[in-house]
This record gives sequence, structure tokens and C-alpha cells, in this order.
Amino acid sequence: MRIVIADDAVILREGLVRILTELGIEVVGVAGDASELLRLVSAEKPDVAVVDIRMPPTHTDEGLQASRTIRERWPGTGVIILSQHVRPAYVLELLRDGAEGIGYLLKERVSDLEELRASIERVAAGGTALDPSVVTQFVTRQSRSSDPLADLTARELDVLKLMAEGRSNKAIGERLWITQHTVEKHVKSIFAKLRLPPTEDDHRRVLAVVAYLDAR
Amino acid sequence: MRGRALLTTVVAIAGVAAGGAVVALTLTGNYADDPVAVAVIALVVGWSFLASGLAAWWQRPENRTGPLMVAIGFAWFATFLVHSRNDVLFTIGTAVENLDLVGIVYLLLSFPTGRLTQLTDRVLIGIAVVLATAVELVFLMLGPSTTFCGDCPRNVLQVADHPSLATAILDQQRLIGAALAVLTAVRLVQRWARASPPERRAAAPVLLVGSGLLAALAVSATNDALDSALGDAPAWGLFIAVAALPIAVLGVLAQQRLARGAVAGLVVDLGDTSRPGDVRSLLARALGDPSLELLYWVPATRSYVDRDGRPRVLPNAAEERSATLVARADQPVAALVHDRALDHNPELVRSVASAAALAIENERLHAELRARLADLRASRARIVEAAEEERRRLERNLHDGAQQRLISIAMLLGLAEARSTSDPDGVRPLLAEARTALASAVDELRELSQGIHPSVLSERGLDVALAELVRSSAVPVAVAGTVGGRLPVAVEGAAYFVVSESLANAAKHAHAGSASIQVLLRDGALQLVVRDDGIGGADTARGSGLRGLVDRVEALGGRLAISSPPGRGTEITVELPCA
Repeated sequence: MRIVIADDAVILREGLVRILTELGIEVVGVAGDASELLRLVSAEKPDVAVVDIRMPPTHTDEGLQASRTIRERWPGTGVIILSQHVRPAYVLELLRDGAEGIGYLLKERVSDLEELRASIERVAAGGTALDPSVVTQFVTRQSRSSDPLADLTARELDVLKLMAEGRSNKAIGERLWITQHTVEKHVKSIFAKLRLPPTEDDHRRVLAVVAYLDAR
Repeated sequence: MRGRALLTTVVAIAGVAAGGAVVALTLTGNYADDPVAVAVIALVVGWSFLASGLAAWWQRPENRTGPLMVAIGFAWFATFLVHSRNDVLFTIGTAVENLDLVGIVYLLLSFPTGRLTQLTDRVLIGIAVVLATAVELVFLMLGPSTTFCGDCPRNVLQVADHPSLATAILDQQRLIGAALAVLTAVRLVQRWARASPPERRAAAPVLLVGSGLLAALAVSATNDALDSALGDAPAWGLFIAVAALPIAVLGVLAQQRLARGAVAGLVVDLGDTSRPGDVRSLLARALGDPSLELLYWVPATRSYVDRDGRPRVLPNAAEERSATLVARADQPVAALVHDRALDHNPELVRSVASAAALAIENERLHAELRARLADLRASRARIVEAAEEERRRLERNLHDGAQQRLISIAMLLGLAEARSTSDPDGVRPLLAEARTALASAVDELRELSQGIHPSVLSERGLDVALAELVRSSAVPVAVAGTVGGRLPVAVEGAAYFVVSESLANAAKHAHAGSASIQVLLRDGALQLVVRDDGIGGADTARGSGLRGLVDRVEALGGRLAISSPPGRGTEITVELPCA
């Protein structure tokens, strides 16, 4: 797997390179800002670009804009946004044009090497990887009216969160130590309780769940 | 006042007597064709000059036009001595026969002040005087009276007998006189062209009649030189023009008195002004000077500012414009800057100014209040902005500093965790690296929190906090005085902020070699003086740091003064009420 990294902070860039190398993932280039990143992606056509959201020159959301450009021009390259902040609004923006090949992770998440590898692989395969903290923020937010989430069992809520993070039924089952069949049962029940039309596709499922959580 | 009244009375009596004498001379003389008509004209013109001259003199003692007109009146009467049968009086009358015209030219050239300021005008008058005196005397010495009138008394000044030369001189005198009249008229036209509207309005009647008079004089003198080719008409024209001149002067005086009537109207108008700026336009209307400006006195800076609060300097004597000060209860309130033409009517300007003083002061106080409110609003906005900027700075510092270090530590630990089974020996250096990174993160956080609020200030108060500050200062600092106890939190914070900012500036911008701090708690107020020996030139207008200090001090009701002459160091004096 081939990866490019964009982050203006050298200390984090170097750290990421070390971690990815440790994981046996090939880092084919590093960039300090968005335009360098776009040049790099254009030249290397990597599987995934790991992008810091805040980069020069304005230090606001350069990474977010670059990711949109990458997804538009080089659909074969997935993007994982790294951020130091939990920003549901940015996540919604990121998902506006679909959830395929999109990730949003908090920077500290990269210290869990196996999780990082899983996220990168998922995004490289056209899947989705949303940070658990962001999903939790969506879920724990007070709903406007009576909350249908209150009807879910604790287990169902766990499954819902993992769905929103972009995990497949298989991954959810491994995570929760339950069979894939049980996961499917939970998913059906959740969709029924939330009155969502069932969908087989993982990233469509992410979109539906996140949209539901945001709209509630 | 008594002296003026006496002088006026004496002049008036002398004028009446002179008039009587002239009438007597004219009627008893056998020279005039129509003695009665001549006597009436002599009396009307002479007394007109005297009367309007006295009126002008009385109304405006410092203006020379009045006495000048009185002199012209007497000179006019003196020319009628030529009607005398007495040889001496006749000769005197002949000798002075053109002096009244010289006076009139002087009057026109110097109107309305009665003073000649231009060299050209002085030269013109000089030539006129020479023509009317020296040339006249030479002429009289050379020929008998028969050269200029048929049946006259004897010319007592005659010492030689050259009648043809005398006649030639007389003709030349008249022609030069005519040219002089034309030149004077040119000067008047030039003056008119250069005059401002108020100046034109003030002088119009006199300049108009004067131009006619000069034209009549030129024609009449030329006619005389050409053996009266045009008959008596030019002489009569000149007579009428001369007679009209005092009336024109009276007209100007009356117009000025009338203008003062505008003060009454002004008082009424001032009663219902409510909008700022109204007073200026009302004053401009009352004074007939649309260019009038109203400058307000600012007691704090002892200077004048315009409506928008910009500092202004009053015009000096050499400028086109002139200033009249407005005061109330001996305190300056404002200044009216107006056209110099209004200086000829100072009573008008003064009465307008005093009528409007209350309204002007009112407006000034409003302006001051507005300025203070604007200051306050700006300062509040700056404080909010500074706080916002401070928060942004903190967020940036946390984001780029400690937070990233902690993340990198997490990465190191992640790596270590991953290696713990496959490569146990590789874990140790990773842990050491993580420990070093953690120490730097703690350092960074400590510095950051110190920057937010020095803990020593809240724990030990200003004295210890300042001592700490001095110890860490880049320039050596001498401290004099102590507070001796605790002050309100806000005062301690502001004082600390002022000193730390000043010392930072002394080191960073002023390149100071040393600095000193003076602390004094007196009358419930903290006084702080921070001095350095740097390059000076500090200014609140430049650099937001000093501006921030001023805002912070003023927000606590305190004062901050900066003295920073270029090359002579900087001194920042702060007074903070502690109540």
C-alpha cells in the first residue's frame, strides 16, 4: 500500500512516517501544505493520503478543501483527515459528496497502530473511517424531540456507533465478540426502530446513519 | 471717551466755522460766476466730508478713514480761499487748491483701513503730493496770477516772470495728475479683482463712486490742460463725484451698523438650533462670510480643534484669514476663523461671538462628549479584540505546542506497544524518547500558563511578582519603592502587565542598556514609573502593545502618560486608583 502524508508539523510528520513504516506501509511522499500535497497525489497516485486539516497558509481547513479536490480528481486515492479537534460539522462537510474513501480521525488515534492500519486499509478499499469520538458526539447530542435512540438497547447502540464509524458487519462482530449473524440481527432491529430503509452497502449505511444522527 | 467727545465737538465747531467763512468769502468775492451756487456746493460737500468723517472717526477710532475725511473736508474748504480779495489768502488758496484731491486719492487707495500698505500706492500718493505742493509752488513763483485767472488778487509768491513757462508747468501738472487718476483707478480695479466677497461687499459703494470720481478727475484735468476744450462740464462732473464720495462712505458705515442688526436675528436663530453644526452656519450667515470656521477650545490640551476633532492652529497676522476668540467667564470657548475683511468691523464679529458664546460652548461640550464616547467605544472594542486575540494566541500555542508533543508521545508509545512482542529491545529507546518529549511538553505548558497569568502575582502580590520580573528581564532594572501589601486583583494585574510590557519593549524595541521602576502607593492610588535609556520614539499610535496598556489602565479609571523623545529614552507613568 502506498501512502502520502501532509502535515506542517515536522514532529507529527516524522512520527507518522515511523509508525507507517513500522506497519509495513510504504510512505511515498510527505508534504508541508495543501498545494504540495496535490502535486504529490497527482504524481504518485497513492492509495491513501493522510492529511492534516490545518495547514499553511491560513491554518484553518486547507486539508478539508484539498481532500475534496483529491476525491474529485483522483477517485482512486482515499483521504484520511487528521485533526486535533472533534468537529462534527467538518465531518458532515466531508461526507457531503459521499462516504467512499473518506476518513476523519483524531491525531491521537494514530497511536493505536492496529486500528490505524485497519482504518487506512478500509479507506484504501473505498470504505469509510470516522473517529469514535466524533460519532459519540453525534450520538450523545440531545435530540430536538423524543429520542428514538432511547428505544435502542445498549448493544444496539454499540452496533450503531460502529456502523457510523464505517465498519463492516464482520468488523463489528470481531469488535464486540459476537457472530456476524447476531450483528445482522442487531442492524435490522436498529433500522426498523429508527425507521431507516435497510441498505447492504457499508458506506451508504454510514451516510444514512450519520444523516439520521445529525437530523434527529 | 470724554477726550473723544471734546475732540469731536471742537472739530465740528471748527468745521461749521470754516464753512461759514467759505460762504462769506464766496459771496463777497467777485471771482465766481454764480457765487450762491458755488457757496451751496462748497458748504454741502465740505460739511458732508466733515460729518461722515466725524461719524466714521467716532464709530471706529482706530481706523484712519475718519480723520482722513475730516482733513479732506478742511482741505476742500481751504481751496475756496481763491475767492478771497486778499492777496495772501488768495495765494494760499491757489497753493493748496489740489490738496483735497490728494486726500481723496489717499482715501480711495487706503479704503477701508485708511492705511497704505502697498509700495505702489505709496509711490502714487508721493507723486500726487509733489504735484500738489512742490510743482504748484514752482508754478506760483514763476508767473503772475493773470496766467491762470483774469481779474484776481496779486500772487504774492511770484519771484520771477516767466508766464509761458508757468503755463507749461501748469499744463504738465494737470496731465500728470490725469494720468495719476487713471493709475489710481487701475489700482482700485486690481484690488476689486483680488478681493474676497466680504471685502467687496464692505467696500463696494466707495470703490464704485471712487472710480467715477477718478474718471471725472482725469477728464477734468485733461480738459483744463487743453484750455477747457470741453467747457465747464468736466469740472461740474468732478464736483458731483466729489460730493457723492462722503455719501458712499456713510453708506458703508450704515451697512456695517446694519450688519450688527444681524446679531439680533442671530440670537433668535440660536434659540432653536438643535443640530450640531448649526451654530457655524448661523454665524457664517450673520457675518456674511460663508467660509467662516468654528474652532473649539480643548482645555485638556490647551489647543483648538475643528468639528471633527482635528487639532488646528489659529491663523497668524500674515495670513489671509483672521481669528476672533470667543470666551465665557474669562475662559476660552472657541475661535472664529473668518475672512480678514471682517477685521474692519470688529464690533460686529465681537458681538456675534458673544451672542453665540453660550451656544458655541454648548456645542463644544457636545463635541467633547462625542469625542470621549468615541474614545470609550474604541477602547472597549480594542479590549474585546485584544482578549479575543489573546485567546486565539493561546489556542495556537496549545495546538502547535503541547498538544502536538503529547500526540507525538502517544505515537511513540504506540510504536513501543507494537514492538513489545516482536522486538522487546527496541522498546527501551522509544520509552526514553517518550519521556524526554513529555518533559518538553510539561515545560511548554508551564511557560504557557505563566504567560496567561503569573502565579506568583496571585500568590505573593505585586512586589514579589515585580522582583521576579526584574530577575528575568533582558535589561538590568533598578527598582525603587514597594507596595507593601496586596492590591485589588485588577490593579495588580494591570500594573504587572504595564511593567512586563514596558521592560519587554525596552529590551526588544528601545535597545535600552538599563531601566528603572519606581513604585509608590499614595492617596489610595498606585503610581508606577518605568524608565529606560533606549532610543525613545515610542508612540501609542504605533504598535498595539502601548495602546493595549493605555486601554487596560483607563478601563480601571487610571491614567497612563508616555514621554518618549527620540534618542532620550522612554518614560511611562501610570496612576491606578486602588479604591
